[in-house]
Amino acid sequence: MNLSHAHGDVPTVTARRASTDEPKLRLESVGKSFHVPRGPAIEAIADVSFTTHENEVCVLLGPSGCGKSTVLRMVAGLEQPTSGNLTLDGQPILGPAQERGMVFQAYTSFDWLTVQQNVEYGMRLNHVPRAERRERASHFIELVGLHRFANTYPRHLSGGMKQRVAIARTLANQPSLLLMDEPFGALDAQTRWQMQELMLSIAEAANTTVLMVTHDIEEAIFLADRIEFMSRHPGTIREEIVPAFKQGRRLRRKEELIGLSGYDDLERHILQLMREQGGDSADH
Amino acid sequence: MTVRNGDHAFRQRWFEFLAPISRKWRIILGSSIWILFFGLWEAAVISGWVNTLLVPSPLQVINTLYELFAEQGFLMDVGISVARILGSFTVACAIAIPLGVLMGSFKTVESFVNPFVSAWRYLPAPAFIPILLMWFGTGELPKLALLFLGVIFFLITLIMDHTSQVRSELIETAMTLGGKRWQILWTVVVPAVLPNIVTSMRQMLAIAWTYLVIAEIIASTSGIGAMMMRARRFLNTDEIMAGILIIGVLGLAFDVMFRWLQRVLFPYLEQEGHA
Repeated sequence: MNLSHAHGDVPTVTARRASTDEPKLRLESVGKSFHVPRGPAIEAIADVSFTTHENEVCVLLGPSGCGKSTVLRMVAGLEQPTSGNLTLDGQPILGPAQERGMVFQAYTSFDWLTVQQNVEYGMRLNHVPRAERRERASHFIELVGLHRFANTYPRHLSGGMKQRVAIARTLANQPSLLLMDEPFGALDAQTRWQMQELMLSIAEAANTTVLMVTHDIEEAIFLADRIEFMSRHPGTIREEIVPAFKQGRRLRRKEELIGLSGYDDLERHILQLMREQGGDSADH
Repeated sequence: MTVRNGDHAFRQRWFEFLAPISRKWRIILGSSIWILFFGLWEAAVISGWVNTLLVPSPLQVINTLYELFAEQGFLMDVGISVARILGSFTVACAIAIPLGVLMGSFKTVESFVNPFVSAWRYLPAPAFIPILLMWFGTGELPKLALLFLGVIFFLITLIMDHTSQVRSELIETAMTLGGKRWQILWTVVVPAVLPNIVTSMRQMLAIAWTYLVIAEIIASTSGIGAMMMRARRFLNTDEIMAGILIIGVLGLAFDVMFRWLQRVLFPYLEQEGHA
């Protein structure tokens, strides 16, 4: 506030400060129930509230069946909540839109389009002029390291490369929030950590806010500026965890995690939460 | 052909689980069954084992086929048959493809149309022949209508099923990229299902041939089937067999054409290193 007083004649500074203080994404008491025929309503998600700020990487972590993917799909606008509010930049979320691009665990490259055409696809839907489309697509293809494969059909790409196409396609469309539903879950271990490092560097380069779902504890700790840990029956936020040991900075390489004091304690803590929550997985 | 491991040769046997076969051998084996078939047929005729009035020799059939084309204007009959197939099949596709895609895409369209379509599917098309003859007489219309009825309901169902199997993640990806419904229909659903539509067309065209022959045998004075029924009256078994042969060849030709179309239209489906 002092800052805005000192520069009171520059209103844009004030405005920007105000908007960064305001969370980008806000969920307030979001709930979702399913109806099964001739049965009681099943409360899958109850009272989920959290916020995500501009340029933050926020990770939804939890045992399988806790409804973290459902929460992400509601943010995407692909599913409707039965109660509560979801807003992005203060605007209510009423359906899927370009501003909330999503990367899925399953491969979603369009087989009939080349890598270049795949990355241009979102911009084509939104009537971005051809020249700009070309340029932006090339930029993001370069960023994910696929420039040599720009004219290749996805069929000839490995799983990791297909996910890179999906990420480039989503980011080239300039969403204000990038949603990822276990995007590296189908990849082998080595490709997975390479993709995690790549994702961090791209999120940094593209100034993107990320909301990501995973059940991989190490992945969550490595990527997250903030972790929302969810529990089951019904799915709700159990604990908000800020990996303080990273001291507010992002890591570049996976091995940097190992030396950091505080990493072991955090992993132990989350593992205990997982055990508590996921112990009765047989009944699910 | 023999693969060696030092001084030892790898085992090469005729019958091996999971072993691939070279293109050369595939062609050799594929042709030999036909050579065997015609050889046995010719041998049976030459040895006098069968009555040549009922079973003419394969060479005789080929000879008759040549005469049919050269002297009796058989090309006209073939042309009429092919035109009937193409005409009714085009109309059937023009209705079935858009309708099937819409039914597979939107549950409201499916709920409205499918109860009707699935009921008609269980009615064998030939059941309509008497009424078609009463309505349309003996011109081209009853034949075209039979072909149309025999194909359309199956084609709609096949295309609907393929469309509803387009992976939801593809559609949802386009939705979160900001796609409108009709944009997604045109740029995701249609291209995703198109290879399967062509396959369905290929399968249903084979069925269309069946109904064509039925229509021409029952009530027609032109076309391949009608020629065969004329030949029966004069005990010209060689002409009947020439007709069967030409139906088979034409069916095969359409199939080859569709496979070629598939390769040209969907180059992205080509497997790498496909032998």
